[in-house]
Amino acid sequence: MSDSIKRCVVTGLGLVCALGDDAASCAASAFSGKSGIKDVESFDTANCYSHKGAEVALTDEQLCSEKYDRTTLLCIKAAGEALADSGIDLGNEDRTKIGVILGTCIGGAASIDKYYTDSFEGRPADKEDIKRMPASAIANNVAYHFGLDGITANIVNACAAGTMSLAGACDMIRAGKADVFVAGGCDSFSSLAYAGFHALHALSEDVCSPFNHSNGITIGEGSGVLIIESYEHAAARGAKIYCDVLGAGVSSDAYHITAPRPDGEGQMSAIRRAAFNSGVDLSEIDYINAHGTGTSKNDEAEFLSLRTLFGNRPDLAVSSTKSMNGHCLGAAGSIEAVLTIEAMNRGEVPPTTGYSSDDIEALREKSGGIGFVANDKQAKDVKLAMSNSFAFGGNNASIIFSKEPREIKNVRNTDPIYITGIGEVTGTKAEGASDFRADVSPEVFKQHEVKTAFLRKLDRFSELVLLSGIVALEDAGIKVDDTNADDIGIVIGTSDGPITEIVNFQKLVIEKGIENGSAFMFPNTVYNAAGGYLSIFTGIKGYNITVANGFQAGLQSVMNACEAIRRGDENVMLANGTDELTDIEAELYKNLGFTGNGKDTGVVLGEGSVTLILESSKAAAERGSKKYAQVAGYSIARHSAPYDEIGGTDEALVRAIEEAVSDAGIRAGDIKTVYGFANGIKSLDDVLDRAVSRIWKDGIEVKNVRSESGEARAASAALSLAKAAKEMDASEGDYSIAVSFGAGGIYSAIVLKKA
Amino acid sequence: MNEEIAAKIKKMLVERLRIPEDELEYDSELFGEDIGLDSIDSIEIIVGLEDLFGVDMSGSGKENFQSIRTLTQYVEEHKED
Repeated sequence: MSDSIKRCVVTGLGLVCALGDDAASCAASAFSGKSGIKDVESFDTANCYSHKGAEVALTDEQLCSEKYDRTTLLCIKAAGEALADSGIDLGNEDRTKIGVILGTCIGGAASIDKYYTDSFEGRPADKEDIKRMPASAIANNVAYHFGLDGITANIVNACAAGTMSLAGACDMIRAGKADVFVAGGCDSFSSLAYAGFHALHALSEDVCSPFNHSNGITIGEGSGVLIIESYEHAAARGAKIYCDVLGAGVSSDAYHITAPRPDGEGQMSAIRRAAFNSGVDLSEIDYINAHGTGTSKNDEAEFLSLRTLFGNRPDLAVSSTKSMNGHCLGAAGSIEAVLTIEAMNRGEVPPTTGYSSDDIEALREKSGGIGFVANDKQAKDVKLAMSNSFAFGGNNASIIFSKEPREIKNVRNTDPIYITGIGEVTGTKAEGASDFRADVSPEVFKQHEVKTAFLRKLDRFSELVLLSGIVALEDAGIKVDDTNADDIGIVIGTSDGPITEIVNFQKLVIEKGIENGSAFMFPNTVYNAAGGYLSIFTGIKGYNITVANGFQAGLQSVMNACEAIRRGDENVMLANGTDELTDIEAELYKNLGFTGNGKDTGVVLGEGSVTLILESSKAAAERGSKKYAQVAGYSIARHSAPYDEIGGTDEALVRAIEEAVSDAGIRAGDIKTVYGFANGIKSLDDVLDRAVSRIWKDGIEVKNVRSESGEARAASAALSLAKAAKEMDASEGDYSIAVSFGAGGIYSAIVLKKA
Repeated sequence: MNEEIAAKIKKMLVERLRIPEDELEYDSELFGEDIGLDSIDSIEIIVGLEDLFGVDMSGSGKENFQSIRTLTQYVEEHKED
């Protein structure tokens, strides 16, 4: 093990937002304090109390000639610029080592709006729009567009997603899973977000001005993309280097689904974690691009966090560029990262705009002696910069960039990781029913002491996640309290997220107008609400991310959770796979032509949630935990395919299995059972058969969980691993493997070892 | 108390805020531990009452939001026929 962790460097920048169509023009505006906020044009806001937005001037066709949801199109535009800026010659690269990781909040909301508006207005709904709905599609679309065959992920932690994705790229490069990442975030302007924040009265009537009058946010759209690569890879191709990405910190408030903790504890935890993981002292930070949304709750909590950690530092510059490009939600962190890196480059700091001379005086009093930058840019040699993002669900993320290389001590823990608890929520098939549905009635929750007052706020997706999370903690015998709350984290994996709540909210807006969104439902429309509720209910305050990436996200979450333990972020992780099934999803899958008999004509749908408790060997030993199995090795492999192509070639699956087996330090022959993913879609089932017979020429036992509880997507992927873990003791062999697939040509594999 | 208004308010709370009908009485403390409403829910109540009765409760005192009974009284007093 090397003494220091791999350097991750930024070699390309791409940006599109209301400030301009590329990084240079956006920076030119931002550093001259010019705002891109105007009256909204995407839809009619006549009946709303606010009319401001930060929209991108380019039409879908101008962004990219291909047919994707606008969120993807914005990202393709920014990613194209970033790749060109990096000078990388894709023709000369091993494309399996170039991944795509993106943050998004609303995903394909524009396509959901279009699909249901067509239905509502009596036009035939376009099947193609269904494929554009899920956030899961985005990174795979971008990878497919550029012909990249590396790992993909969509980080869907609302307004912290853009920052978390940059951190995720570095984590995977440092873990040796890729050389290069197209990393960033993207979100389009949407009636969903506008109506939601309008309903919450969180929109500013006029242009937002964070840390000032704090009357609310102005919503924006856009995409920021960074090319992040290992220093060795960048140096070998003679790339120009903008800066190093040092470390990041992720935490959860465990407080409220929309409001930040007033005491700023969660925010400060993320900032301290980022500094610790970067090996820097907070006193060294020169510039902070703040979250600074402009709501009173955010600004008050953030003022408090900054004053507490950085008070009386007039030399520390702080600003919120959201005053000029709006709050771009899942893209925000990535857009702000580009502007932060530009600040390093230029030796000047962009301002927060919209201040009168009286406002500036008031800011000075609130600032606690910190050098908040108002109205005009400030000359400053920025050597170390921090960018902060705080989200719905109480998710916080902080990341640090450095102009100079810094050595960061390698604390990677390679000790065994064990599965020490399992919570399974699966569906059953009622008589005469065509699919499997789970029981999430209040009575079930009462058995686990979940009160009505808490439960009633949850949508179905959140109920599923909460239930399996609680059951898993109970199974592992873990009680969360002040002594361990910061050492436990959560990774949720999903294919389709809380699509029912999203569609119901969108239908309401379509039928009753943008001014009539539901404040009650809106918080549940973000994919990470479920992980947020789980942390609020249990009190878990550590790492907390949600990955949307097709069915295999239920295994990808386990890999992400293992990596959080390996990095030393947490001792215990809850890794989860969840997908819900209501009549809304049943109809969408039927319209896509995916449903059938579960044998050879298509899938029988199901739903569920499976949470696995993963524990470091040290924590397991200290607790005397029972061990189902050891996670011995894992891998994800992709061979780019269109998002709607199911199956594709078996090449990527073979690669995922071979890499996972090698990661476990064994040979394929050591494995006794494969827990597969056959679900009745012939092309897909054939891929599994071909891959298995290529690797195990003499045959091997293959088990499937879908016949018992339906195609519950990410939940089925996690269930196959849970089943493998539970059957490990009775197995003749020492090893088994769970495999899964996701649309867009992505496959994953996890090897378990008898504990 | 106007029973008709109270019943409509109860129905609205059950639908908009997913409060189980059998756990909601006219005197249940809405923002207490059992029902557990918060600031987001109060926004929904304001919108719901505006929709149902054309009564604007924004900016009105906390005491009016205590229970279905107090909401009903407020509506009765401010409703224009």
